[in-house]
Amino acid sequence: MTRGSAVKFSEVTRKFGKVVALENFSLEVEPGELVTLLGPSGCGKTTALRVLAGIDELHTGTVSINGEALTSVPAHRRNIGMVFQAYSLFPNMSVSENISYGLRMRGFNGRKRREKAGEMLELVQMSALADRMPAQLSGGQQQRVALARAIAIEPRVLLLDEPLSALDAQIRVQIRDEIRRIQKTLGITTIFVSHDQEEAMSISDRIGILNHGVLEQIDTPMSLYKNPKSNFVAEFVGLSNRVPGLIVANRTVKVLGQNLKVSTYSPRCSEGEEVYVLLRPESIVLSQENEYFRIISKSFLGSVTRFEIDGGIDQLLSVELGSDLAKDFNPGEFVGLFIRSNEVMVIKS
Amino acid sequence: MKKRISLLAHVINGIVALFFIFPFISALEFSLRGYGGVGHTFENYFWIIRQQDFSQAVSTSFKVTLLSAILVLVLVVPSVVHLHLTGYRYRKFIESLSLVPNLIPSVSLAVAVQFSMPNWMQVSYYELSFFNVLIAFPFVFRSLDSSLKSIPLRTLVEASNTLGGGWLKTLLLIIIPSVRAATIASVLITVALSLGEYTLATILHFQTIPTWAVNVSQENLYGSVSLSIGALFFSWMILVTVVFFPKLSQGIYRKFDKRYSI
Repeated sequence: MTRGSAVKFSEVTRKFGKVVALENFSLEVEPGELVTLLGPSGCGKTTALRVLAGIDELHTGTVSINGEALTSVPAHRRNIGMVFQAYSLFPNMSVSENISYGLRMRGFNGRKRREKAGEMLELVQMSALADRMPAQLSGGQQQRVALARAIAIEPRVLLLDEPLSALDAQIRVQIRDEIRRIQKTLGITTIFVSHDQEEAMSISDRIGILNHGVLEQIDTPMSLYKNPKSNFVAEFVGLSNRVPGLIVANRTVKVLGQNLKVSTYSPRCSEGEEVYVLLRPESIVLSQENEYFRIISKSFLGSVTRFEIDGGIDQLLSVELGSDLAKDFNPGEFVGLFIRSNEVMVIKS
Repeated sequence: MKKRISLLAHVINGIVALFFIFPFISALEFSLRGYGGVGHTFENYFWIIRQQDFSQAVSTSFKVTLLSAILVLVLVVPSVVHLHLTGYRYRKFIESLSLVPNLIPSVSLAVAVQFSMPNWMQVSYYELSFFNVLIAFPFVFRSLDSSLKSIPLRTLVEASNTLGGGWLKTLLLIIIPSVRAATIASVLITVALSLGEYTLATILHFQTIPTWAVNVSQENLYGSVSLSIGALFFSWMILVTVVFFPKLSQGIYRKFDKRYSI
């Protein structure tokens, strides 16, 4: 059984020429926690992982595990397991040889290596394929083996660098759930990198949002979604409508005919100022009163149905309704809109 | 139409085969002629073995060749891997640079390198190994370069590092086995070139198999042709091994590696 370790990044900066990949990046991960670093391409999330693994250098700052500074420790002595985006299985070794490679580096004898490899193969449900070569495996199977190989060494921390991005949708969900199950079973501290919000939301204890090498916010998935602390987070996490509004009083904005409280994380705005209000699709409700807005389209998405509504602004509004309620509304009809959020995020226009 | 093309291809292949085989068969027949060109015998081959300097020339050639092969394995292979990992953008430049030793006249090359060698090396026939590595470098580089390009080298190295593999173990256990066909081809090409290298050995006054063969030809023409046939056959065996080795080595490697892994 692996016991989780505490991980700490302290004001880490990493530059590639003039490009700053990470800037004063600080993050603490609790033992046994699964934290996802989420952000657009090039925001520095993979760099953070590579710096911790020791396969990339940092310019300033420190990284530590359980208080032990790792800056001068080479990658092969850090005891950190890593799963890469590209299938990184050694092509000259079979599945079980791949899994036992890390143990071989640690001087385990043949019997112990065989036992451990068998255990890991069982954990990732791949026992039947122990003697196959990597080229004989599907993408999903290869990533399972890569995961087994990374955890076989009982690492202090497990790093997952977009391990699901090359897989198709169905396998992706399957492996994602498997990663979470194994992570919880072993209680291993894990840092997961992804650009997929749904993936991050479903798997993480906490999510850190990165933007241009800066950690914008780290919080639980729910808090991040409900209480974004910056415009970037509000717009990046989940779908948001950007609707024009007017500040009518101190921390009160008028939008779509309704007066709403402005979130404390919004920038300070003065009375009479025109702003944009960020509204989640599910925070807008369709009604049969005050029918000023026309339904342009309707898409059935399973449990919810998404409507595109002409709200008289420069973009269509997205509204999501439970599919059972949505059957009363159809394209071409006029409807009223009601915002049910207590607080809304505004950005300066 | 297809049949006509196929027939034409067979005819062309036949002519090309004759072009190469005819001189070889002629030389083989010549090497088997008896005293005064009468009859056929293996006497010329036995005559070579009986010569006083033969064993010394063979010994020198094999020692030089062995060192050349070791230098390719120990210096060139890790260097090309390192180039792929840290200086990938300089690959084209190095590739062009690798051709320079083949463009410089042998005399200039021999004199220049001779002067750059330490004194103790200038008198040793082992210095030929360094020339051989230089001459083989364009072939070795291309072979390794294309093979390394076909594998996700950086990811494999990083994966090995995070699992506890240092540079040497990663090189020996992951990289070289992943490009083993190219590595073995590089070594065998170096061996073939080293065994056949004549110009530099003559300029530097070292007696290897080719220089000895030229000396012998003045004494016994049949014997020198027999030696050439023998050397050609040896080199041909090496080239055949290079061509067929990828499939062959896979089986051998798996058997060998099983002893050391689970």
